Amino acid sequence: MTDTIFQSSDLAGGKRTEFLDAARSGLARLRDKDGTSLVMLPESRLRLLQTLATWWEAYSRLDALLRRSLAPTANELGELAWLRPFDRADLEEFLSDLHDALVAASADEDEAALADTLRAWRITARQLEDPLRRSVLLGQHVPSDYVEVDEPSGGE
Amino acid sequence: MAASSAYDPFRPAKRPGGKPETAPGYRVLVHRRFVGHYGELVSRVGIQQAKQFWDHVAHAPGQPDPIASTTILKGRAGRPKGPGWSRTFHYEISASGRIDYQYNDTYKATEGSDPHPVVAILTINYSSH
Repeated sequence: MTDTIFQSSDLAGGKRTEFLDAARSGLARLRDKDGTSLVMLPESRLRLLQTLATWWEAYSRLDALLRRSLAPTANELGELAWLRPFDRADLEEFLSDLHDALVAASADEDEAALADTLRAWRITARQLEDPLRRSVLLGQHVPSDYVEVDEPSGGE
Repeated sequence: MAASSAYDPFRPAKRPGGKPETAPGYRVLVHRRFVGHYGELVSRVGIQQAKQFWDHVAHAPGQPDPIASTTILKGRAGRPKGPGWSRTFHYEISASGRIDYQYNDTYKATEGSDPHPVVAILTINYSSH
């Protein structure tokens, strides 16, 4: 947190550029006429903070649900209901992955690691929603299940 | 198109659109429940994407594709199906076409047979996410 606190009158004076530079570089503090402390920061940083807050809350909620013996219902999962194709072991693995991704995103000040992790889990959930795909993806490898196929029609 | 026989380790699945320019490094197998889907590959995604996919799995499975997005599935769905198998790769062949596969560099179809590299296509679906 910066020690410099600008005054609202600075926005119309010579310190306006200095204020904007401080905001661009991370955060600028300003004392309003009524004493309210305001900050300006890059929108990307605000979005990151909002995303991290949202997902830390989701992490805490899922962590609490998994501490019970019962599997969480779709209703209890709420915004995380897309996780319902997963069994308990997978949900615990998701929770661990989410924790690691949140720590990485916080350290990097970049949500890329979090986005990549969530994307991979969402894709997996969608693949498991279909009973046939689920049975093959979660089943054992049986050599006789794999067959020779002819060349697809409609080619060159 | 129907499956004609169980997997023969010496008869790989054929490349969509004709013969490859170089011999494939990996034999390409398809799970019997998705043979029909594989038969629709060209009509569903186009010959260009079908060739691109074939070249990917036949020569560099598991490597980043220059065009398509690949993701390793998470949880149990992403785990190798046995010793020698890779994790499950999810290949987005088009906006609505997705293929899951694993590969094995030293696959033996039967005990005592020679090890050879194979790609096993586990699932194919054409519904957009």
